[in-house]
Amino acid sequence: MHLMVYFVLGLVFMLLQTTIIPWVVPTFFKPDMLLILVIYISLSESLLRGALLTYFLGTLHDVFAGAYLGLYGLVFLILFVAARAAMRWFDTENAPLLLALVFFGTILKGLLVLFALGLFADAGNVWPLIMKTIPTQAFASLIAAMMILVGASRLQKIFGPRWQVPGLQRMDSGHGF
Amino acid sequence: MKAFGKKYFRIALVGLLLFTALMVYSYNLRHSESTSFFERAVLRLSAPFQKSLETSREYVLDLKDHYLWLVDTAYENDRLKKENHRLRGELLRYEEIRLANERLRSLLKFVEEAGLEAVPAQVIAEDSTSWFRTVVIDKGLEDGIGEGMAVVVPEGVVGRVIRSSDGESRVLLITDASSAAAALVQRTRTRGVCRGRGERLVLEFALREDDIQVDDRIITSGMGGVFPKGLLVGRVSNVERGQYGLFQNVVVEPVVDFSRLEEVLVLPGEQ
Repeated sequence: MHLMVYFVLGLVFMLLQTTIIPWVVPTFFKPDMLLILVIYISLSESLLRGALLTYFLGTLHDVFAGAYLGLYGLVFLILFVAARAAMRWFDTENAPLLLALVFFGTILKGLLVLFALGLFADAGNVWPLIMKTIPTQAFASLIAAMMILVGASRLQKIFGPRWQVPGLQRMDSGHGF
Repeated sequence: MKAFGKKYFRIALVGLLLFTALMVYSYNLRHSESTSFFERAVLRLSAPFQKSLETSREYVLDLKDHYLWLVDTAYENDRLKKENHRLRGELLRYEEIRLANERLRSLLKFVEEAGLEAVPAQVIAEDSTSWFRTVVIDKGLEDGIGEGMAVVVPEGVVGRVIRSSDGESRVLLITDASSAAAALVQRTRTRGVCRGRGERLVLEFALREDDIQVDDRIITSGMGGVFPKGLLVGRVSNVERGQYGLFQNVVVEPVVDFSRLEEVLVLPGEQ
């Protein structure tokens, strides 16, 4: 996919996450839209391009989350590497894999944030807050990822049936849902 | 051999990127008091979208509250009914304006009574995660707002500005886990530090023998130079004194409803 598409998607997801989503869902059930994009990138982009894109998205996340610039850049990059490592054993053109990675990626992300804050920053007693919301956030991200996949697949059918979007063709043929 | 080298070169590059990411994070922890060029650029780029989304939300809510139920009666659209509904809608809109006016009046009264210089601002976005407590406001460097300034509402303390770009700023709420404010119990003048715990606060370093009771008011002590003295932070909701230990555990319920923050005041003089 074109780099610009990822940038625009990143910005749109960020706007959704800071404006519309908080109006419709409670704080503890806020999905992580950028993480879904990072997982998708790790399944469909090359190592170097994906790593740079992921770091950019993480830094974008940092501008609107907490007070530590660089935290999510680092966390997303580690998640990207972990997802790349995991995909060696699986069929990457498979929607359930993406969903599973989003679910477990959200949990891993929470743990990585805790680790990075605990080890380097003076973030106060943040761990009960993070631990409490990790399960609900993992479910919220899973639901959001399912909605995006279904929506993207339908949009592709309508607007670009010949587009080669990685991961979407297989779902249409019944491998996904 | 060439392909083997290329593969390891890529892995080394990603490793280098990971190391750089760690360094950037570590560097920014030491320089967290200033807003970087990247943050300013992104805040500036996103602010118009966030403002228009906020306006759209108000419009949609207005539409939902005032006009949507008209759909069912669309077929009975006699001119007088429509006129009646339009006027009702207008009335409700005026009611909304009156409520906003009341809120702003209360802000103004608070500023006049407290003798503080203040810049009113509107909340336009929230933190993108569930783990931190920050909001974006629609005022920035151009309005004289900078990092470290206190943010309040008539009910009490909201937080402090942590990032500022030309037209917008990010505010770290007092309920964030990394937030701390010097505070005291109004009744007994017991000193402590109020720290965020997500939805609630805790009063740290309050000695075990100090007299603190449920419903005591916690106010800012003025120490630390961020918040002026005497602003209400919250009320004590739970006190636990163990058999051992130097301090007692005091849970504080914030007086500000952070889920309904709309207009806030930034205090430029309290940097």
